[in-house]
Amino acid sequence: MKKTLPLAVCLIMGILMIVQFFVPHPVSLRFNSMILNWVIVLSAFALVLAIGNLIMYHGNRIRRRQPGWIYSIVTLAGMTAMAGIGLAWGVDPDSLFQKIFLHVLTPLGATMFALLAYYMASAAYRSFRARSLEATLLLLAAFVVMIGFMPFGQYLGRWFPAFAEWIMLVPNMASKRGIQFGVAFGAIATALKIILGIERSWLGGKE
Amino acid sequence: MKWFEKLTRIDRRVIYVLLTAFVILPFFIPFKIPENIMPQTRRLFDFIESIPTRDKAVIITFDYTPSTQPECHPMAIALLRHCFKKKIPVIGLSYEPQGPGMAVEALSMVSAELNRAAQSRDDSVIYGADYVYLGWKSGRVAAMIEMGENIASVYPRDYFQNPIDSLPLMRRVRNYKEIAIAIVVAAATYPDEWVMYPQARYGVKVAAGLTAVMAPEYYPFLQTGQFSGMLAGMKGAAEYEKLILEHGYTDKPGRAETGMNSQSIIHLLIIIFIVIGNVGYFFTRKNK
Repeated sequence: MKKTLPLAVCLIMGILMIVQFFVPHPVSLRFNSMILNWVIVLSAFALVLAIGNLIMYHGNRIRRRQPGWIYSIVTLAGMTAMAGIGLAWGVDPDSLFQKIFLHVLTPLGATMFALLAYYMASAAYRSFRARSLEATLLLLAAFVVMIGFMPFGQYLGRWFPAFAEWIMLVPNMASKRGIQFGVAFGAIATALKIILGIERSWLGGKE
Repeated sequence: MKWFEKLTRIDRRVIYVLLTAFVILPFFIPFKIPENIMPQTRRLFDFIESIPTRDKAVIITFDYTPSTQPECHPMAIALLRHCFKKKIPVIGLSYEPQGPGMAVEALSMVSAELNRAAQSRDDSVIYGADYVYLGWKSGRVAAMIEMGENIASVYPRDYFQNPIDSLPLMRRVRNYKEIAIAIVVAAATYPDEWVMYPQARYGVKVAAGLTAVMAPEYYPFLQTGQFSGMLAGMKGAAEYEKLILEHGYTDKPGRAETGMNSQSIIHLLIIIFIVIGNVGYFFTRKNK
């Protein structure tokens, strides 16, 4: 019963949602609307669960004085302070919440991401070598796309940016489309397996 | 150590110092590299140009975080300038939790800029009448689909807690029938969902503003016509800034244009380092 009921609900709802997609009757549309609102509400509950999980995880780290526990205090203090400030004084463009977001979180986030440029430049110099035919082709394609998409590219001739665009629109697109088709078929197969109860890992526990 | 071996072992600190110097350089020695406009950028610009004034609204989603702000924020600002100047109503929303902070900054900045220069009500941009920000919502796929039936049922209040029916724009825009296009400015795979659900079910036109790293993934959507245009990375933002400047929608160059100078020089530097590394590697292998 512990597993049968969720499997039955999944089967019935899965089939109903597929059928309603093709039925434009008002009853079908109202049913769809109701289910979608349920999903939004359930997602909000997931958020509460996530906050609870975060508090429990970092609370344990602080209690046990695990390495880096001081950062857990920063995480919990930051979360509580931002939530409190937002709830107490609002989130208007001139609010304290927005000022902290713009003047603390924004520069911190931008700094972290900017550091990637240093690692990427160093890694590109060290590892981007023409060791084989495939690596050479990759290198040449990367050069053409990088230079072609840069404003400098047009100085090499009008054909150069067009060639870079061709690489993106033909070989790149062919491979991406192939991958996307593969992913889509995989998603359909997985969805059917879940609806029909063949794939049960979402129920949790041992199979 | 032979000269060609030295080429393969340049100290990373040298790379870091040069990188820093070349990023900063364009801010002190301003120069202008002419931007060539990519077809996907022009497609989006032309689409917005074709929307009649004070008719259907444009949805702009702010689904990026501070870390991707240098690429995505100039896109959002340029799009807002274009829409506001053309008197196209804008509905902003976010499915990325950090998006509201970026959205509020972009909307308040552009609206304040236009209102400062406004001579009459016709030139000014009023919240609730010309633009609305609906904020963040959990369960994004469900929210996207349900907006096709009734936006008010998904967002009974806007981000600033105003009841949705108290906003004149939202009394007119009930669902996707009154939306000309949804432009997804994102640093994650949100545009996929806009194509899969609102477009497949309700025929919503979709365009995207993406980080340069994400752009290659989305070329198939452009070719099939599922995207009505795309801004790819900082270059896309700089191109759009150039277009609105050329067409008189703004009188000053945007942030992405300055950023593009730094980015172009850094790309050149990286290419030079890769070439140096490969020359060293080639001669080292030849001598073995």
